[in-house]
Amino acid sequence: MTVHEQCLSRSEEAVINHHLDALMQQEQEICGAVVSTVDGFHVAARLTGSLSAEKLSAMASSLLAINEAVCRESSMGECRDLVVEASQGRILLMDVPHPAQKLILTVLCRAKTTMGKALWSARSCRESLGRVFSRT
Amino acid sequence: MDQREYKLIFTGSMGAGKTTAIAAVSEVAPLCTDVQNTDHSEFAKATTTTGLDYGEVTLPGGQVLRLFGTPGQTRFRFMWDILGKGALGVVVLVDNSRPDPVRDACDYVQAFSNVIAGTRAVIGVGRCDAYPTPTLEEYDDALKAIGVNVPVISADVRQREHVLTLVDILFYQIEAAETVSSGAVA
Repeated sequence: MTVHEQCLSRSEEAVINHHLDALMQQEQEICGAVVSTVDGFHVAARLTGSLSAEKLSAMASSLLAINEAVCRESSMGECRDLVVEASQGRILLMDVPHPAQKLILTVLCRAKTTMGKALWSARSCRESLGRVFSRT
Repeated sequence: MDQREYKLIFTGSMGAGKTTAIAAVSEVAPLCTDVQNTDHSEFAKATTTTGLDYGEVTLPGGQVLRLFGTPGQTRFRFMWDILGKGALGVVVLVDNSRPDPVRDACDYVQAFSNVIAGTRAVIGVGRCDAYPTPTLEEYDDALKAIGVNVPVISADVRQREHVLTLVDILFYQIEAAETVSSGAVA
């Protein structure tokens, strides 16, 4: 049994997979998405090529943990989203509320993505997942 | 008075006490990036570091030591590489209750071999009272077998004095290494 199987039910995993599919279909410029545990274990992913869901999950965990520390240190309140601007695209990271354990949603976007659309789609995905988890 | 700043790394297996050690000695509010731990098969504790820990200590001679703690799990190895850049020495913390703590020590020493360069490290072995084996001599033998000659001491990282002892020993290891290298250049 993997770590995330101990923490998430099969139905919750199915919901996550469904949401990732919907996210990818809704926004064509989103080229990848990963849901992982807050301590860096991969739960579900839609990635192409040689990208490693395991590595991205660990890195997302570190980035969000450091992001939260920076927000605390700067007295800027609760950490919301992290946007990484790269020469060939953007990476969005945000936490997903869950009654038992917070999850992380990482979204990879192509360079020509309209930032607002990608962010809106990712946040909608996060909020929808949060609503489903709060009912289970 | 030497006003130089030293970047030191605290590393070791999950649960070995890296966050605790830095919090025990830091003169500034320690930065920690702990999150909920979901991997209770590895170690049954509530939280785990996934980013870094940070603290500062000033030695009586005025040297400022910047202490950086790494995540313990190998999936965060990329953070080891990031944090290791520019570091002058490494404190490796080991939990003697783990299945093969000597192997743990050797693994982390080898992961930071570019910083340690054979001598710039100290090994702090925890829980020796409850788990007396392997002995410190066994650690010493295993480390020498991989070409690393560093002090190995028993340490309870909840005790500020124990952590300061580790830091002091590492500081002198670094100074000795720099004296040797400057002598070699001269």
